[in-house]
Amino acid sequence: MSDFKLVCNDIVKKYGKKEILHNIDLEIEPGKIYGLIGRNGAGKTTLLSVLSAQTPATSGNVTYSGMQVWENQEALDHICFSRELNAVSAYGPNNLKVKDYFEAAEAFFPNWDKEMAKRLCKEFGLEEKKKISKLSKGMMSMVTIIVALASKADITFMDEPVAGLDIVARDQFYRELLNEYTETGRTFVVSTHIIEEAADLFEETILIKDGNILLKENTLELLERAYHISGKADVVDEFLKGLTAYRIENIGRSKGATVLLNPGQELPTGFDVTVQPVSLQNLFVALCGSDTASGM
Amino acid sequence: MNEYLNQEKSIYLQISEMIETDILRDILLEEEKVPSTNELAKLYSINPATAAKGINLLVDSGILYKKRGIGMFVATGAKAQIRERRKEEFYEHYLQAILQEALHLGISKEELIEMIQQSKN
Repeated sequence: MSDFKLVCNDIVKKYGKKEILHNIDLEIEPGKIYGLIGRNGAGKTTLLSVLSAQTPATSGNVTYSGMQVWENQEALDHICFSRELNAVSAYGPNNLKVKDYFEAAEAFFPNWDKEMAKRLCKEFGLEEKKKISKLSKGMMSMVTIIVALASKADITFMDEPVAGLDIVARDQFYRELLNEYTETGRTFVVSTHIIEEAADLFEETILIKDGNILLKENTLELLERAYHISGKADVVDEFLKGLTAYRIENIGRSKGATVLLNPGQELPTGFDVTVQPVSLQNLFVALCGSDTASGM
Repeated sequence: MNEYLNQEKSIYLQISEMIETDILRDILLEEEKVPSTNELAKLYSINPATAAKGINLLVDSGILYKKRGIGMFVATGAKAQIRERRKEEFYEHYLQAILQEALHLGISKEELIEMIQQSKN
């Protein structure tokens, strides 16, 4: 399996004059669940479109198992990008019924699992006879989830699959995803804004900021070098010397900051400060919330 | 095994501690099979690699052992070993925190000892 990597080299994507993705290098290894996180407009959907050859890159290339992906059916047979659905298409209201949409998917994906699509429809309580244009936001997400899972594609991209879903349905999705993953070892790249819930699903986290990959790292290892530090301001300042601190906040004499250690770097000891672990969501806010990090 | 996970420490550490606590409470018995990493992953909605990291921690310390093709089992003597280790960690994990809080509050050691002696259990 180790050759079945999706590799992108020096990808640039422009829409008109605006450059959305800047020289992106990325490797998606088989058999992992990746979380793709970034703020609105960071370039998540564009990146997924380029990786799955639904949109051409302005320059650079994407290969799967050494083959070019663009307009190459042999490679595309292994890749699924289940896009967000809209009630309105370019030709007016989206009058396709859910089951027509699944039939189109069946024609498109060589390993389509019809039984699974049926079962998931039942479990999500989705009516196959309904028109896409009549579905709620949550129901549209269910359709995209079902297409992604039943495609059985080796590499499956999901763009905000849980948008609009209630917490019970989200929980159902996380379980179905893990079920499928543990049974097949397929590769999933999942973008989401509900980071807190999904963080523990991601073996690796890809953080995209302003069209650049800010980091791509094993989630556990990333969190093991992230801490929140708080205490008396002068003591915290002393503590932070030589460390990279984000999201520094002051209230009176008190100061708090999020610290991301370099790999191998250790926290100083012997200071009267409170050291707390940081969740992926908090780290994300610290890294993406403000424009500048301060190295002290 | 059915505790909720929290954000206070790494998920894999919580997994291994939960299994240890279940062994101490006789929820998991020695020479009994423990849930697989896939089962744990689904139960907690976590990545199987994370569950495996928690399990492997217990294998490394000899609490669990692997039977090829069958799964992970609780080792004989695991309960005594866990109790021994947690006793050693008691000072670091609990007493130090108590002493630090006592210091902030200006509670002397004598007062602390008095409190312990007056407590009911």
